[in-house]
Amino acid sequence: MIKGRYDDENLKWIPLLIGLVLLIPFALKGMTFSYKYYIYILNTIGIYIILTVGLDLLSGYAGLISLGHAAFMAIGAYTSAILVDQAGLPFMFSLILSPLIAGCFGFIIGFPALRVSGMYLGLTTMGFGFIIRRLIIALREWTQGSAGLVVSPPNIFGFTIKGDWANYFLVWTLAVLVIIGARRIVKSKIGRAFMAIRDSEQAAEASGINLAKYKMFSFFISGSLAGLSGVLMAHTNHFISTDHFDSMLSIYFIIMVLVGGAGTVYGAVLGTLFIVLLDNLFVPELETLLHTMFSIESGEMESFIFGLVMFLFIIFQPTGLYGMWLKMRIYWKLFPFNPKQRFT
Amino acid sequence: MKRLMTIIISITMFSLIGCGGAAESPGVTENEILIGNVQDLSGPMKELGKILPAGSNLYFDYINDNGGVHGRKIRMLVEDAQYNPQKTVVAVKKLIEKEQVFCLYNVIGTSPVEAVRPLLAESEIPLIAPATQSGTMSDMSRPAAEYIFPTDTGYDIQASILIDYAKEIDENAVIGVIYQDDDYGENVLKGVEESEAEMGITVQKESFQRGATDFAGQVMNMMKGGCTHVIIAGIVKEPIIIMKTAEAMGYAPQFMGISPTMDHRVSLAAGTAGEGFISANFAPLWNSDDNVPKLYRELCEKADVPEAMMGMYHYYGFSTAIVLVEGLRRAGKKPTRKKLIRGMETFNNWDGAGIQPLTYNRNDHGGAEAVTLIQIKDGIQLPITDWIK
Repeated sequence: MIKGRYDDENLKWIPLLIGLVLLIPFALKGMTFSYKYYIYILNTIGIYIILTVGLDLLSGYAGLISLGHAAFMAIGAYTSAILVDQAGLPFMFSLILSPLIAGCFGFIIGFPALRVSGMYLGLTTMGFGFIIRRLIIALREWTQGSAGLVVSPPNIFGFTIKGDWANYFLVWTLAVLVIIGARRIVKSKIGRAFMAIRDSEQAAEASGINLAKYKMFSFFISGSLAGLSGVLMAHTNHFISTDHFDSMLSIYFIIMVLVGGAGTVYGAVLGTLFIVLLDNLFVPELETLLHTMFSIESGEMESFIFGLVMFLFIIFQPTGLYGMWLKMRIYWKLFPFNPKQRFT
Repeated sequence: MKRLMTIIISITMFSLIGCGGAAESPGVTENEILIGNVQDLSGPMKELGKILPAGSNLYFDYINDNGGVHGRKIRMLVEDAQYNPQKTVVAVKKLIEKEQVFCLYNVIGTSPVEAVRPLLAESEIPLIAPATQSGTMSDMSRPAAEYIFPTDTGYDIQASILIDYAKEIDENAVIGVIYQDDDYGENVLKGVEESEAEMGITVQKESFQRGATDFAGQVMNMMKGGCTHVIIAGIVKEPIIIMKTAEAMGYAPQFMGISPTMDHRVSLAAGTAGEGFISANFAPLWNSDDNVPKLYRELCEKADVPEAMMGMYHYYGFSTAIVLVEGLRRAGKKPTRKKLIRGMETFNNWDGAGIQPLTYNRNDHGGAEAVTLIQIKDGIQLPITDWIK
């Protein structure tokens, strides 16, 4: 029965993904002294992947744009910090409850999504981000306002997870689960409904898809995943403040999804990898290189390169990194009989 | 599958080659000490991000030209974190793990520094002169406090001193505060609330968002509340706009400011609206006749520092560099991070940095607790009080 359900899909990638995720930290430890720095970057990537995969379900699959995802992340982070450190709940409990609370906020944001779409929805969600920031500052008693909150490390069944090495396994276990889960969602009835809504709301409704239900559900899932990434961020970084979740971060998430290729789970993963690595590894190197040649003020280069990458991707590669990969794969599959016009 | 196995085996081999820990004192070689600094080079405070390290490098160059510290030259790496705590964590991680710096210095911003506390504790790396005057820096009950050596008087203490002063010059003063609603403002509010409780007064509070350029609402509310003394917890542009807005509205309270508003550009840009503005300062004026300001101006002249760059923030980088160099001297000929911390903890009323005397010991990293008040008179900044605690 189960075999029958899954035999249409190639599942080889799952063990490959798990194997790769398990091996990378050991390989890094072997290769470089500064492995802790790279593992920290990987942890950030893992946390962001959880969010961008969720954002991709919302924006890429259901076609609902959100410019306020950093706010859902903030809700997850602050809720968990308060539940664990102030209410004394176990981390494992908060790991489930906090994302659900963030999801409920997503559900609420789903209401305006029933009426507004496109740019207006983007602005609504952005406004939501500002409201959450004000709310965090106003609820000073619990959140300590703008001063920020110290958060305890995750404690799982009596074991405290501390340090980048241990965090890596926690973050990436959840990231892999989220990737697998998201793949299952998009292959299911829910995923098909999301895509139908994205392609034509009228046609979807005519086929019997409950628009309100699925739109709100997509916000709920997406908000929950952003909340989960917030929980992980709070407990692995041990400090959160309103500055951690500024509106620029929401825009970064959208860039990650677009560069990777909206509407593909792997695209979100690739886009996140690409943008975070670009930001932390390649741009600084390039900056030092260019600094010796031209007198460009450091710091200015980053925004320039980001803008350029976005610009080039949207014009030349609208299907993103994943689209690029698919094209390459088809090219080699058909080689040498590939029709020329297809790839020009 | 075979290819996959080959990849897996080669990666595993790589990991087995992995070898032991880092050298005993990271960042220290025979002739160099590597220092890590995190600034905002492209975010909301990017102006300061360029000026502060320039001031520090002015002094480091002077020391290096004169033989360095125990024969080692000082080299400073500056990372950009856009005043964002998350990016600061990444930058500090990079400085510690990848660049292997000996110690951290001048990391800018309250929440960025708060965010790196776990890293300081993990790597046992000292942070000398964080570029924030938040009172939380000297709070020894906070995590990693033993690694942080603040050089400035906390914003909370400054706010209390200003309120005390306002009440001293005018018994019936009605006080208001316009504050930036971030970590900086939060710390100012703490001082205000303490004063309210202590003196049994109510202070009118109005907030603004970082980067705001319109303060008409806040000024109007201060006017409605009948405030005679208004404390501004902003940086440079905010006091200028607030005072100009008030002047345009025909409202003329005594404006006062927390130390970041002490920059001489305030007096230059505010013009007549800024006349009489009082600000707190934790150092002698950079253009005064004290020894360190004199040396500062001499070196600026020698290095052809543009006049627009000179001023309180450039001087801040300069004077905190003196504190760091003194700490490195006290860490001995074979410095380690622990020795630097012990060295810093021998500061006892030390006043060689051109700021107020500093004291650190194992149980108290308070550093400084006093300010002088500076007033703009005829467009020129003049000290009007001695050190007040």
